[in-house]
Amino acid sequence: MFDTEAALALLQYGDSAYPAGGFAFSWGVEGLSADDLLSGQVDLDDLVFEHLAFRWNTMDRILLRRAFIAADLDAIAAADRTAEAATPSAQMRDGSHRAGRALLGVSVRLGGSLAIAYRAMLSADARLGHLPVVQAIVYRDAGIGFEAAQLLSGWTLVTGLVSAAVRLGVIGHIEAQQSLATARHVLEALLAETPDSDVQPSSFTPLIDIAVSRGPSRHVRMFST
Amino acid sequence: MKQMLTPTKPARISAARVGIGGPVGSGKTALVERLIPALMARGIDIAVITNDLVTAEDAERIRRSGLIDPARVSAVEAGACPHTVIREDPTLNIEAADELERRFPGVELILLESGGDNLASTFSRDLTDFWMFVIDVGGGDDIPRKRGPGVIRSDVLVINKTDLAPYVGVDLDRMHREALAVRDNRPVLMTNCRRGEGIEAVVDIIEREVLFRA
Ligand SMILES: Nc1nc2c(ncn2[C@@H]2O[C@H](COP(=O)(O)OP(=O)(O)O)[C@@H](O)[C@H]2O)c(=O)[nH]1
Ligand SMILES: [Mg+2]
Repeated sequence: MFDTEAALALLQYGDSAYPAGGFAFSWGVEGLSADDLLSGQVDLDDLVFEHLAFRWNTMDRILLRRAFIAADLDAIAAADRTAEAATPSAQMRDGSHRAGRALLGVSVRLGGSLAIAYRAMLSADARLGHLPVVQAIVYRDAGIGFEAAQLLSGWTLVTGLVSAAVRLGVIGHIEAQQSLATARHVLEALLAETPDSDVQPSSFTPLIDIAVSRGPSRHVRMFST
Repeated sequence: MKQMLTPTKPARISAARVGIGGPVGSGKTALVERLIPALMARGIDIAVITNDLVTAEDAERIRRSGLIDPARVSAVEAGACPHTVIREDPTLNIEAADELERRFPGVELILLESGGDNLASTFSRDLTDFWMFVIDVGGGDDIPRKRGPGVIRSDVLVINKTDLAPYVGVDLDRMHREALAVRDNRPVLMTNCRRGEGIEAVVDIIEREVLFRA
């Protein structure tokens, strides 16, 4: 049952030290905490749930799958354009581009063939390079299966949120482990259900979107989003 | 794993990348502000990246300085990890530099100011071709003796604010000598960014060691 090879790949790509710039994105944690809307572990767990259930599961996961089963680069780009069109907040789009392009850049330097081909398309179109689409490319290049790719996508989001909260002093390091454990159960429950194959990507995280969108107007800001 | 990843040679890097690290307040931004006109005067096409810690203040300060086209100044947020963003995980800085090269194809040199630290930061060789570490006289003449990785391993150690020596009881010659000693005689330059002293020597070294000119 236990696939050692696949598990080791998960450990490498899911490591929060994987060098794709994830540490610079708080996806709303910084903004909400600056506005006193996030103080402590209960709030953080709610935020992680909101991210997972109302954005990641309905949006990133759908886009990841589309890009994962895409037969060619054009089909990947189509998923990417859908990501662009389905993300109304300019700052969320920008964050997704920056995180996606950073992740892609690492795979390009590692010699991933799909990553190299897709990167060439990116230079011609600034709207391409959204994170979930790039995750599909990178994990395909790495020979990681779709089920595992979903885990990586969801889990790297969770660790990013929780570690941002630690750095911002919202929670301590022990609480962080409790939040991660809670998030594991949330992710497990979401993954137990498979979305219909024709479902359109969507999200409903208004508080998070507003917090991220207000980023550029904040004087004090340590994170990209 | 179905296929193994094989490292490829990085795409041709057209612009040299020079890191500027050092403690908060040692004068990194002041040095950048001095280097911009001095490099331009020698006909070198440049761009700048800042890694501000908490605000975009350094990027804004350089953009508003009138010294350089504001579009050539990029800010990269460090998520409260000023070391990580230049060392363990420099991808965001690499992407920002690649982007500047795409937008300004003629750019020859990109200066990359770190967010500032204590004495422990170093730049990844994947990010920079050359890096300088800036400390200042006001921090005391014992700083070189403390042998932080930045002091020891940088390609050039810059000791800034030489004008402050009399006020903080620092013997500049001794500080210089001790810095050379802990660095096995690798370059140590003295600057006063307030008055623009010592800047030409910094530009000389960049031209010679980084751009392979002159
Ligand atoms: N007296 C003196 N002050 C300096 C010198 N260089 C920089 N400063 C001042 O030191 C302070 C910190 O400089 P800054 O460039 O912002 O430091 P950074 O944090 O390393 O970028 C500012 O107030 C500068 O004006 C110098 O050579 N002499
Ligand atoms: Mg500065």
